[in-house]
Amino acid sequence: MGTIWVVAEPGLDGGLARISAEAATLVRDLAATAGRDAIGIVVAPDPAAAAADLATYLPVVWTIAEPAAADNAWSAVAAGHVAALIAEDSPDAVFVGAGADGRDLAGAVSALTGLGVLVNATGVAWTDDGPAIEMSVFGGKLLTTSGFTSGRGIVTVRPNVATAAPADAPGRVEARTTTVAKPLPAVRVVDRVNEQNAAAPIEEARIIVAGGRGVGGPDGFRIVREIAEALGGAVGATRAAVDSGWIPYSQQIGQTGKIVKPELYLALGISGAIQHKVGMRTSGTIVAVNRDADAPIADFADLFVVGDLFEVGAALVERIRTRPG
Amino acid sequence: MRIVVLVKPVPDPASAGERLGADGRLDRAAVPAVVNGNDEYVLEAALKLIEAAGEGEITLLTMAPTNAPETLRKALAMGAHRGVHVSDVALGGSCAVSTARVLAAALRQLEFDMVFAGIDASDGVGGIVPAAIAAHLGLPFLSYAARIEPDMFGRTVRVRRISATGYDVLEAPLPVLIAGTQALGEPRYPSLKGIMAARGKEIVTRSLADLGVDAISVGGAVATTAVLDSRMPPARAATEIVRGTPDEGAARIVEFLADRRII
Amino acid sequence: MTESMPPSYRLTEEQTLLRDAVRTFADERVAPRARDIDQSAEFPQDLRELLAAQDILALPFPAAYGGLDADLLTVCLAVEQLSRACATTGLILAVHELASLPIVLAGSPEQHRRWLPRLASGEDLIAFAMTEADAGSDVAAIRTRAVRDGDDYVITGSKRFISHGSVADLLTVFAVTDPDRDASRHTRLSCFVVEVPTRGFEVARIEHKMGLRGSPTAELAFDGVRVPAVNMIGAEGDGFAIAMRTFDRSRPAIAAQAVGIAQGALEAATAYARNRRQFGHRIGDLQMVAAMLADMDAATESARQLLYKACVEIEAGSEDASRWAAMCKLVAGDAAMRVTTDAVQVLGGYGYIDEFPVERMMRDAKITQLYEGTQQIQRLVVARALLGKSDRPEAERDN
Repeated sequence: MGTIWVVAEPGLDGGLARISAEAATLVRDLAATAGRDAIGIVVAPDPAAAAADLATYLPVVWTIAEPAAADNAWSAVAAGHVAALIAEDSPDAVFVGAGADGRDLAGAVSALTGLGVLVNATGVAWTDDGPAIEMSVFGGKLLTTSGFTSGRGIVTVRPNVATAAPADAPGRVEARTTTVAKPLPAVRVVDRVNEQNAAAPIEEARIIVAGGRGVGGPDGFRIVREIAEALGGAVGATRAAVDSGWIPYSQQIGQTGKIVKPELYLALGISGAIQHKVGMRTSGTIVAVNRDADAPIADFADLFVVGDLFEVGAALVERIRTRPG
Repeated sequence: MRIVVLVKPVPDPASAGERLGADGRLDRAAVPAVVNGNDEYVLEAALKLIEAAGEGEITLLTMAPTNAPETLRKALAMGAHRGVHVSDVALGGSCAVSTARVLAAALRQLEFDMVFAGIDASDGVGGIVPAAIAAHLGLPFLSYAARIEPDMFGRTVRVRRISATGYDVLEAPLPVLIAGTQALGEPRYPSLKGIMAARGKEIVTRSLADLGVDAISVGGAVATTAVLDSRMPPARAATEIVRGTPDEGAARIVEFLADRRII
Repeated sequence: MTESMPPSYRLTEEQTLLRDAVRTFADERVAPRARDIDQSAEFPQDLRELLAAQDILALPFPAAYGGLDADLLTVCLAVEQLSRACATTGLILAVHELASLPIVLAGSPEQHRRWLPRLASGEDLIAFAMTEADAGSDVAAIRTRAVRDGDDYVITGSKRFISHGSVADLLTVFAVTDPDRDASRHTRLSCFVVEVPTRGFEVARIEHKMGLRGSPTAELAFDGVRVPAVNMIGAEGDGFAIAMRTFDRSRPAIAAQAVGIAQGALEAATAYARNRRQFGHRIGDLQMVAAMLADMDAATESARQLLYKACVEIEAGSEDASRWAAMCKLVAGDAAMRVTTDAVQVLGGYGYIDEFPVERMMRDAKITQLYEGTQQIQRLVVARALLGKSDRPEAERDN
């Protein structure tokens, strides 16, 4: 029987990355409709914990214990093993999350195996010719469905495309060994630094509250944070705010930052210029607050409030907090 | 210090004209091309490194249709020294797999200490090509760079790689391929003198034959992926505009979100 | 007819590149600052530094001194693009160009070496100090005196309405060296470069203006200011001739500012007309509005084409340079005033409030009808070119 694989990206502390749990759920459902077997793959120095977690989503999980993954950049180490497995077992498709590590892995495995890659999938279906992948291109202007001309390939999956849902019964974990004939050069990780204000990856957030030039400075972001907190969302920013040093780059949304698709995007003091627009225009609901009634964002927001973001923001926080329930 | 900067021309996102051609591939002739946003950031990083070192050369490398020289001009005006433009009719419609192979072949003909690429092209290929190129060439691959610190004497480089919790510090011996992010620092505007000087800088063209790549192994006919269908996203409903007191605005927002079951 | 038509000028590739680069710069760095500059009435030092860093201030200077050897048209293209975003910022380049013209046109090689490199690099700004409280259009009425004393000249007097007078490092000062009542105005004046700050020099006041509010317009007091004789441009008595040669190249720069202002207003009004809906239509579809916009576009374009043609003719050394310079400034200034006024009209009530830029553009436009020679002076120049020299000697004295 054919197989569809999902390669787990390393999560924090050896656990399973959330995006991998989502991808695993998607693969399990896809395999069911495709009449294929779903298999998860964990490559790690000590894969036990992540594998056990992944097995709650998939019937079969293969583990590869690779000590080199401990102090070296993961994707180069893992790619050799994944490529070796692919050479041995010829899966019909290999999925990985579209996080940084997942993308790096996809690129390396593609080079090692010659398999094509479709990136940033927002939906997947199965056809007689293999997977049909939905993508949003040109900054959200066009939706495409693409496939692999050979019927097989590698797919990276955006966060929030599937909701992680455990299977009815946990699957089994199997240790595997592979021989990597020509390993890719390892890149040593000399240090891992936690930064105090590092936020959870905003691509995964359901609600994003973002601030732009109108916020005026790092202090201005306080209201943005308050609203995000009140709504249970993440804080985002435009390039202008990041370039001015008001907020870290990791929270930047836009052409040179992150592309996000939350359920709600609340834009405060953001003009909505194209650079930013391409990062968030496919959001479910877009609400904007801006003093400038002529801001481009007024063209594509669902709700546009003309006003001072601090005043509207303060009133909004108050109302959200005092809502019943 | 010799740095090759990979430059990807993408359809200008500010134009409304990106579209797919009849073959389902990006119609690159339809809109003017600009340099992919993040490529300018890595170019800026390269410029700063050679300025700090007091020596060095930057070569731009691009694979693109014939209008590429114009997009390279801006990068040359910023201060790069020369350009290499891989162009061949047979390349039309190439997928990411072919693109990576061809660029790897071009790099084999260049001498460098570091290759820089920008993360994530804005027109859909999603950032996997640099990793693929590195794998083809057997180069250490350091991605999501927020800071690049080469040690030319010790022939190593340290890179800060953005992580979910902050950053990791990676280290590798030269030569390397680094995929960089915007966190590297705002690119300079080309000064007018730079613009004038760029006109005299050399752009060399390379065909597939020059690279020793077989034309039948690339191009649309052998692409690994294909667009099966495309459609416009559902139109958004007209924007509701609210003016009034801040409290009125806030009230409407809450109501709106409640109606859509977001809160 | 098969006889060959004279080639119409086209922008060279180089001019197009430079223009586009300045345009991008203006859109991305200048436009976001424009409102602030007007409201704060503060000289945009940050933009002055950026203009220098981008080599924009280097445009008018010879390459040998670090400049870009740009011809008059190219300089005007840059002024136009900057002014489209912010008239104050456009003026930084325009004044830098026109105030340095006496040095460039009539200075000695040694004077070039001394001053041009720092002007090209933008380290030094320069201002043009001719006008006085009682001597605007009437140049003959200038009273500031420069008296020879040993190896120096001592300058005493006061200048008024000097753009950038308070932020410049160098001033080209026109002063009377031959006070004889019967001396012809053609020989009364000399031109000096004064490096400031210096003893006896003071900025007496800064005007509060209707528009161009970020550009400091100063009254300058010279109380026995000593200037080495080697700072005199040309010979004693050359001042008037130097000034006239300067005007042929400075008036187009102001015309360029006016065209830029008009273009900015046209774009703002057009964008508004596309978006604003009344009576179920975008107002741009209403004929009275459409007609206004069409007339605005035609006025701007004709001013622009006349300017470009004038630049080419002046650069080519046309005998009619003064006519071209006066005419392009006349047409552009009137166009800017008309187009900005109509732009406010198109926006209706919104055009009157500072949420939109057109009221600022209208206030900025007015000065282009007043300085660098009033529209009335420009008309005299054009009329004289048309009619030949008058047979009335007193008419000759009029300007």
